[in-house]
This record gives sequence, structure tokens and C-alpha cells, in this order.
Amino acid sequence: MFQNRAEAYALALPAAIFAAIVFLIPVGLLLSEGFRSAQGWTLSAFVDFFSQPLNQKVFLRTLKLGVMVTAAAAVIGYATAYAIVSLPPGAKGRMIGLVVLPLMISPVARTYAWIVILGRTGIVNQALMLVGLTDEPVRFLFTETAVFIGLLQLFLPLMIISLISALENLPKDAVPAARILGANWFQVFWKIILPLTREGLIVGGTLVFTGSLTAYITPAILGGSKVLMLETLLYQQVTVANNFVAASVIAFLLIVMSFSANILLRRIATARNRK
Amino acid sequence: MKRQAVLASATALILGLGLGSAQAQEKTLTISVYAFAQDEYKKMLYDPFEAQCGCKLVVETGNSVERLAKMEANKANPVIDMAVISMADALQASRAGLIDAIDTAKLTNFDKLYDIAKDPNGDGMSVGYTFYATSIVYRTDKMQIDSWADLLKPEYASHVAFPNITTNQGPPALFMLGEALGQNTPDLKAAIEAVAERKDDIVTFYVKSSQLVQLMQQEEIWAAPIGRFSWAPFTKLDLPLGWATPKEGQTGGMNVMVLTKGTKNADLALQFMDYWLSTEVQTKLAEALVDSPANSEVVVPDEVADNITYGEETASSLKLIPSAVALDNRDGWLAEWNSKVGQ
Repeated sequence: MFQNRAEAYALALPAAIFAAIVFLIPVGLLLSEGFRSAQGWTLSAFVDFFSQPLNQKVFLRTLKLGVMVTAAAAVIGYATAYAIVSLPPGAKGRMIGLVVLPLMISPVARTYAWIVILGRTGIVNQALMLVGLTDEPVRFLFTETAVFIGLLQLFLPLMIISLISALENLPKDAVPAARILGANWFQVFWKIILPLTREGLIVGGTLVFTGSLTAYITPAILGGSKVLMLETLLYQQVTVANNFVAASVIAFLLIVMSFSANILLRRIATARNRK
Repeated sequence: MKRQAVLASATALILGLGLGSAQAQEKTLTISVYAFAQDEYKKMLYDPFEAQCGCKLVVETGNSVERLAKMEANKANPVIDMAVISMADALQASRAGLIDAIDTAKLTNFDKLYDIAKDPNGDGMSVGYTFYATSIVYRTDKMQIDSWADLLKPEYASHVAFPNITTNQGPPALFMLGEALGQNTPDLKAAIEAVAERKDDIVTFYVKSSQLVQLMQQEEIWAAPIGRFSWAPFTKLDLPLGWATPKEGQTGGMNVMVLTKGTKNADLALQFMDYWLSTEVQTKLAEALVDSPANSEVVVPDEVADNITYGEETASSLKLIPSAVALDNRDGWLAEWNSKVGQ
């Protein structure tokens, strides 16, 4: 397209300068805070951070919930996306519309609704008591379960949409062909659908995992301070403890975890493909 | 003729402009306040004061961390003439050399203040203009609260929302809990320990008091320590709710006025403080439920009094955490809380 590379670089230069000034440099400065001390560059901030039992616990909880939400979203997402792409065009459009709809509602409103639904007098507890599964209302609010449900509901649409676009690119006769040749549904999924839609899973998985790690409102409202996550801990460090070093350690961890998730998902997907 | 008239009016205009700006330069007061109820303040305080002093008020708003940081940054060349901050922040500003002593002889309304507001930190560097009580809102049909320690009774704890240590209500509530346990040391160790023992029962450690109204309505909670300024929405719920008067007393917080060190407008700032403390302004702000009055001459109707922190008896029963205790222990409280309750 371009006669030489220089021309292409020249055209990209303004955007690159803009991104560097307003994004890369500030982020770099922010992150470097965690490695700086009066004596020079050091990892002591990270050692301090992980030496506190609370921080270890919050780190592991964030990781665990991120993985659980991503896995649950992938399972539900594949089923939903497969059902939607099999629909006739009109119905498909309407269903995709329904999937996208929650994304247009503020996460605050969506999360607040869970407080009503999961409350002691909410519909979930009413149903549980009606069928006799419990005599006393179960406490859901301000537990990891509530945060898990909230995050899953928040990010599931992103996974479904990514998988729909991936499944749409799946050759129409690939699945019937495999079935005719004797593959069961599990083999069809593992050997045909998964390898051919791995890009969608990587994109969806990264979005859901990163979203779950960095969501603030949902853990803050549904978990509160009893279920601290890295993001809510970060907020606490900045606004209350005024500890910007710990905050930039957390920010660094979040970024590293997001990138690692992306790389890991890519690995898993390509490893399957090579077999 | 026409030309002359144009010239003359142009000259007048220029002169007028010059005069105007000269005057404005002479009398501009820059204040730094909390970013809340600014419409009411403008109507009841800023506009009338501008009319009275013939000066211009510049209002800067923000939370206390931001505003203190700004004062610190402009220490050599102050932008702000006076600020309103919390009692503990005033002590911090005083230790950092950011504020000057207030010449209370120049405040005609000073003697009308409740004793608690006259010199909250005992260093002559600040004057309280409003305070609030913190006590417990509770379901009168489900429980009886006579002491702060009742919150942690086994049969009650699983229906209680306790303020997180990071909120303004957290430390005062722990302070009173320590008082009730008979072990009120500045490190709040006994109180934090007692809360930690019940941490799995306690419904949540709340951060925003606005959330509590819904939790109360859903019967998720029966009781929570709150500031009096959050009380009004609870009274609108169709539930039997009461404001506890525990035997250890109520706690709370106070906001104070401070004078920036090195300001060139000290007299004007004092004039403004005096006006803010006047019975007239304090009454208007109380009636609008903006600030509870620190001026003891303020008289308000019962329905207003019910929604604010009001009266000699209340004022003298408030047990506030001394600012020095708060400043010196804040980090320690958070660390202790995070290690005992946070995990």
C-alpha cells in the first residue's frame, strides 16, 4: 500500500506521539513508583506488599474469582453463542440485541439490582424457602458468591458476543461433517469447534478476565470491605492510607495479570491446535 | 458633539473598568470548602456576604485530601485565604505550618458558640462552625440498644452493619465501643479485637451510609452506627426506627474554619468567618438541613431539630476523638483493622 515503510511510519507518528504522551509515559511513571525508593531501584515495595497476609489473601481471591468467572462465562457463552448462531437471521439479530442490551445499562444499576434480588427478602431467598431448601434466609450479600454472580452477569455478554462472531466464521458443514464421520458431541467441540473459534475465546476470555480483575463497582457494592479485591484494596490505599507505593504495586499486578491471562489463553488455544 | 459624547462615554467606561478591577483586586476573598450544598451556601452565605462587604468571593471546592494538598503546594504563596476542614485535618495543617492563629477577639459571634466549638484542638488555630452526633439507628421492635457494646451481642451482631475503619464514622464508633468495653486506648485495639470476633456475623462493614437505607428497608440489617446527617432518610421508611442514646454517650465529628498562614486578607477572612457564625446565617443553614449550628443562640422548629444535631444537651454529651489521637493513630488503626477484621 505504501511505497516505503518510512511513509507508513510517518503517518502513524502523530497517533504514536499522542498515545505516548497521554498514555504510555504517565502509565510508566505511575508503575515506576512501585520500584522506586530513596536508595534507587528496588523490589522492596513488592516484598512488603506480599508479606502482609491480607494482601496475599486479596491477591489470591482476585485471581480465583477472575478464573472462575472466566471459566463460567466460557461454558455458558459457548452454549448460548452456539444456540444463537443456529437461529434464522431475524431471530439471531433479536437475540444478539438482547445479549447486548445489559451493556447499555449502567453497571451501578445492574449491580444494585442484585442487592434486591439476593437480599434476605429477595426473590432468590423467597424461592429457596418456598421449596423448603432452607428455613432461614441464606446470606448472599457481601459474600464471594454475590461478587461472582455480579461479575458473571456483568461480563458474560462480552464472552457471548466474541464467541458469536467466532462461531459465525466456522465453516457451515464442519460440524455436520464431523458428526457423519462418527465424532460424538464432545469430540466435535474439542477437535472442531474449539480450535476453529479459539480467537473468539481468547478475545472473550481476556475481556472477561481483565474486566473481572479491574471491576470496581461490583466488588465494592456486592462484596464490600468483607470481600476485598485488588481493585477495592487499591482504592483504599489511595484514598485512605494515602499509600501511592502500594497502589502502584497493585496497579502493576493488575496489568501483569491481564497480560499473562491473554498470553496463557493464547498458549492453551494454540497448543490444542498443534495436536 | 456626537463624537465628544462617544469619547466621553468611552473614557467613562475605561475609567469605570479600571476602577472596578482595582476595587476587585483590593477585595477578593478566596475560600476553600467542601463540595456540598453549594447552591444553599451561595444563597444563604456567599451572596449576602458579598453584598455586605462589597467584595468578591472566590470559592474553591474539593475533598479535604485534595484541598490540604493544594494548601501545602501553595505554602509559599497562598492562594486560599480561609478554609473549612475537619478538626483532625486542622491539626495536621497546623503541624505543617499552613495556618495561623485565629484572633477570636475580632469574631463578634464567638461567645455565642457552644463550648465544644470554641477551640476544638485547644491550640487557638481553629473555630468549629458545625458538628454532628454519631450514634446508632436501630429497629426498636427487634432490639434494645443501651450501650455501644450491645451491637456485638451474639443475637444482634448478625443484623448489624458496622462502619468500615476508612469511613468518617468508623473510628468514632470504635472509640465508643472501646469506651463501652472499658478499654479505651488510643490504638483502639480492644474495640477492633471485639469487632474482629464477630466479623463473620456482622452483615457488612459499610463504606457509604446511603447504602444503609436500602439494607434497612430490605430487613438486611436492624442497626448501624451513623452520623446524624444521614438520619433523615431513615425517618421516611415505614419501619419502627429509633436513634439510640447509649449510656456511654454519643460521638461524632466537627468541621472547623482555619486561616491560611501568610494571607493578605486576614481581616476580610475573619469578617467572613464571623458572618458565617452569626445567628442569622447559622439559623438559615440549619433550617435548610445543611449544617447543624455551632451557635447556641440558633432556635429551630422541632421538625428541623429532629433532623440535625441540635441543642446544648447534645453538644455537651458528644465525645469526640481528640485530633492528636486521630492523627497519630490513623495508620495504625488501618493496619490493625486490616490484619484483624479485613481478612
